[in-house]
Amino acid sequence: MLLQVENVQKSYGDTEILKGVSLGLSRGQSKVIMGPSGTGKSTLLRCINHLTLPDGGRVFLDGEELTPKNINKMREVLAFVFQDFNLFTHLRAIDNVQIGPEKIRGMKKKEARDLAMHELERVGLADRAHAYPAELSGGQQQRVSIARALAMQPKVILFDEPTSALDPELTGEVISVMSQLAADGMTMLVVSHEVNFARQAADEIIFMEGGEILEQGPPSKMFVDPQHKRTRQFLDVLGHEERGS
Amino acid sequence: MEAFNSVVISQMPFLLGGLWVALQLLALLLILGLGLGLGIALMEVYGHWTLRWAGILFERIFRGIPALVLLLLFYYGVTEFIELSAFTSAVLALGLRSAAYQSQIFRGVIQAVPAGQMAAARALGMPKHKAVFHIILPQALRQAIGPWTNEFSSELKATSLAYVIGVVELTRQGRYIISSTQGNVLLVFAVVAALYFVANWLGNQLLYKLERSLALPGFETRRDD
Repeated sequence: MLLQVENVQKSYGDTEILKGVSLGLSRGQSKVIMGPSGTGKSTLLRCINHLTLPDGGRVFLDGEELTPKNINKMREVLAFVFQDFNLFTHLRAIDNVQIGPEKIRGMKKKEARDLAMHELERVGLADRAHAYPAELSGGQQQRVSIARALAMQPKVILFDEPTSALDPELTGEVISVMSQLAADGMTMLVVSHEVNFARQAADEIIFMEGGEILEQGPPSKMFVDPQHKRTRQFLDVLGHEERGS
Repeated sequence: MEAFNSVVISQMPFLLGGLWVALQLLALLLILGLGLGLGIALMEVYGHWTLRWAGILFERIFRGIPALVLLLLFYYGVTEFIELSAFTSAVLALGLRSAAYQSQIFRGVIQAVPAGQMAAARALGMPKHKAVFHIILPQALRQAIGPWTNEFSSELKATSLAYVIGVVELTRQGRYIISSTQGNVLLVFAVVAALYFVANWLGNQLLYKLERSLALPGFETRRDD
């Protein structure tokens, strides 16, 4: 397993958000986590790269356990894409992508610049390289933030509801970039309710409810014949919304 | 008019000399206040609790004592132990006080940077100190220029308090001119007031210009319409 999550737990006060979640991704796999709001999906993702420190459990990347000591090194190759993009507002698109390789990886400025431009091309935004985040649409901002993640040449990318701040039209452009990444063999763990993306790009759907994984399986099985009634109810509603819109 | 010529024009070199001393005092105290104030703000926001409390203690003390009393304490108090010129005492007293005020400007703008910016930097694998330097401060300091114009204006005027410990700055030069020429008190102080006003106005214009030239698309703080 390239990414292994073992029994991760998290509570806020008396409220148990994650009741011991385990999952694994092998190289090149994409998995989509679905489930109702407040189920701990985003908390799980943040616990995986220790943006939120889990109360218990362990995370391994390529066989190495994440610890407070190695966390910065590990995060370099365990990228995170945020729901609200979080592009650095004082930097142009290209500088947002360049800063990681240059200031964290210690790459030469020129090399980092070329790499940044290459990653912007990959998300189809080479022509907007010199725009500031505030001058970009939400979909463009999210694509820049994906380029920023790619520039670190990560082993795994975690996506935390990457399209839920976007309207349907902008969602499409982000989803197509993500689908391409999955097709190129990127290892991805995605919290999302995008049924089309899940159907086309995911190797597995993970259904979470109440801080635990209720069931998981390939989309062909999960969308057609899930084991749990709750999974069926939830995915049915999603499917209807998708067709309706 | 004759009074104006004999008193103001002939004495203008002394007044400008006094203004020059005031501006030197201002520059030094603001630089001291900037460096120390930024340090205190970083301690208060990111520091270990001991550093945070040290910062808060310093800031409360220097914001809680009148500038005039601080000047007297530094000039008559500290010089009991170390030899300090009146000018140096003034730089220290006003500079440390300015650091206390500036620390709160910087704390405010640092804390106003959305939490997602730090999260995104850390998620890339940036250590905290690098994230503060590369991501937080460039955004925060742009926003600090506006409130900092307040600090500039108050400190420029506060330099006149150094008069009481014998620094020969603009206000004291005015006083000298009045006694040596038996000049018109109102006239001389009016000219002194005008010089402070002009220096203040020009300084603020420069700061606003800096603020505009560093403004980011989507974060403009002044309207041009």
